Amino acid sequence: MSNMPSKTLLRVDDITMAFGGIVAVANLSLTVETGEILALIGPNGAGKTTTFHVIAGVHKPTAGRIFFDGQDITFYRPDGRCRSGVARTFQITQPFQELTVEENVMVGSLAQHRSIADARKDARRYVEMVGLSDRANVLAKGLSTGQRKRLEMARAMATRPKLLLLDEVTGGVDQKSIPGLIELVKQLRREGLTLVIIEHNMRVINELADRAIFMNRGQKMAEGTPEDVMQRPEVVELYLGEELQHG
Amino acid sequence: MFEPLRPWQWLLVAITLAALAALPLLSSNSYVLHVLILSMIFGIFASAWNLVTGFAGLKTFGHHAFFGIGAYSSALVALHSGLSPWLTIWIAALIATVAGLFIGLPILRIRSMPHVAIVTLGFAEIVRITISNLQSITRGELGLWGIPPFESFTLPVLGEMKFTPADKAGYYYLILVLLVFSTGLITLLMRSKSGLALVAMRDAEDAAESLGVNLTRHKLLVFGVSAFLVGLAGAFFGHYIGILTPSAAVGPDLMILVIAMALVGGLGTLSGPLVGALVLTCVVELLRDLNDLRLLIYGAIIITVVMFLPKGLATLGPLVRRRITYLRAPTTSPAKHL
Repeated sequence: MSNMPSKTLLRVDDITMAFGGIVAVANLSLTVETGEILALIGPNGAGKTTTFHVIAGVHKPTAGRIFFDGQDITFYRPDGRCRSGVARTFQITQPFQELTVEENVMVGSLAQHRSIADARKDARRYVEMVGLSDRANVLAKGLSTGQRKRLEMARAMATRPKLLLLDEVTGGVDQKSIPGLIELVKQLRREGLTLVIIEHNMRVINELADRAIFMNRGQKMAEGTPEDVMQRPEVVELYLGEELQHG
Repeated sequence: MFEPLRPWQWLLVAITLAALAALPLLSSNSYVLHVLILSMIFGIFASAWNLVTGFAGLKTFGHHAFFGIGAYSSALVALHSGLSPWLTIWIAALIATVAGLFIGLPILRIRSMPHVAIVTLGFAEIVRITISNLQSITRGELGLWGIPPFESFTLPVLGEMKFTPADKAGYYYLILVLLVFSTGLITLLMRSKSGLALVAMRDAEDAAESLGVNLTRHKLLVFGVSAFLVGLAGAFFGHYIGILTPSAAVGPDLMILVIAMALVGGLGTLSGPLVGALVLTCVVELLRDLNDLRLLIYGAIIITVVMFLPKGLATLGPLVRRRITYLRAPTTSPAKHL
């Protein structure tokens, strides 16, 4: 956003994430400015989701630091990061199956509200925002994939985050549902949210992202505007070429 | 579960309570009361186990440890210190809580449920073997006897409450009060924001944590509350039966029985474990005359219920109601084929 003073919301400082002998992310540094949408792209196994997990607190990095909103959150647990203002969705959606859509969102609202009644009222707003009002009282296990993605966004939004991490919002969703999901993400940004997205769909990236980081084998290979990054020879060779061949 | 109770639900609770309270006035048959007292002891046990396993999704198979710890603690404290059982049952419940938190701590770190099951089962075996071998204190398998009964007292309207083997009304009312206390506590917990967090944790632990649910706190909370209630039930059991042996109070078959009760009644429901405890305790008593055939029929009943009502007897009501509305609804289907 050009009219906003640029302020760094998230700074990932030289993180390495190793599992035994396997290095999933190596010496990665990145920053996210308030109000922008950053896309992480790269082939499968590039370390994008691991990076998400490290930012969200699922994994403690082997080395490096993470600063969010001026705080060092490197050793916060996921629930602590949520309270600091980091929310996320999951690549493979994780609905609370036996709870209704509304109750699912209430779990997020309870981060902000003390009473069940207040949380329910609050949750209704977010259920409506993602367009699931007509399914509010359905058990989450009865939702389609696209609806589950929306539910995950509503749940995450209900925690009132400053930063939202979206892991493949359009993955596994039928083509007809994609424009609606893109519109929803745009709406979230209009409400002042900062987003980091992992995405394979190039059209979605072009339409949403201000900036893109290309990762391969755990390392940052390129960074810039989406158009710029996608024209780099190494990106074409390592990622897009592969996409063209297979897709 | 998180909606406010509807009037008919309040009415159902009130009628059930009134019927249970009136029962000893209608029949003073001490055998009937004995079966109901056992049902209620197991009702508390099964509800508390269901809280951890059915609602919070932590698959523990070692809750009989808390039952035994509660039973032996209360009995031993009452025997040696001369304190009244009215007081020692609460002390015992607190000791069981401490044990619950103690075993809850390592479980927090284990995300694989089969391992949780084995660790808790192992813990209970350690407790059983310890009690069995500490013969100088517990008398081991010879049995700890001479456990003091509850002291009688006089109530204004109902008269004297006696706690003797012949007159079981006192025990009946006491365990009924404990059952109401236990069910009320579990219901309040499950309807609070913690209840929602517990179910969320059961259905998707990572997602719950990412939404700000403190897993450590909730797991410890649920283990503590559950161990407290099971310990309380165990403590009552000791003073009621009057003699304790490790195999009767901490045996793995006790745990299996309670699991069967929760499954038959309905795992993850509030009323299920209570219904299951009542039904299975009664079935065991009714089949007592059949000797060896007893276990065969008992097993067949459990299998039948689990096969045809996998979510338990507690879901029978809603199922029947749906069926009735279905039959009443005007059928639009073409005439039946012959």
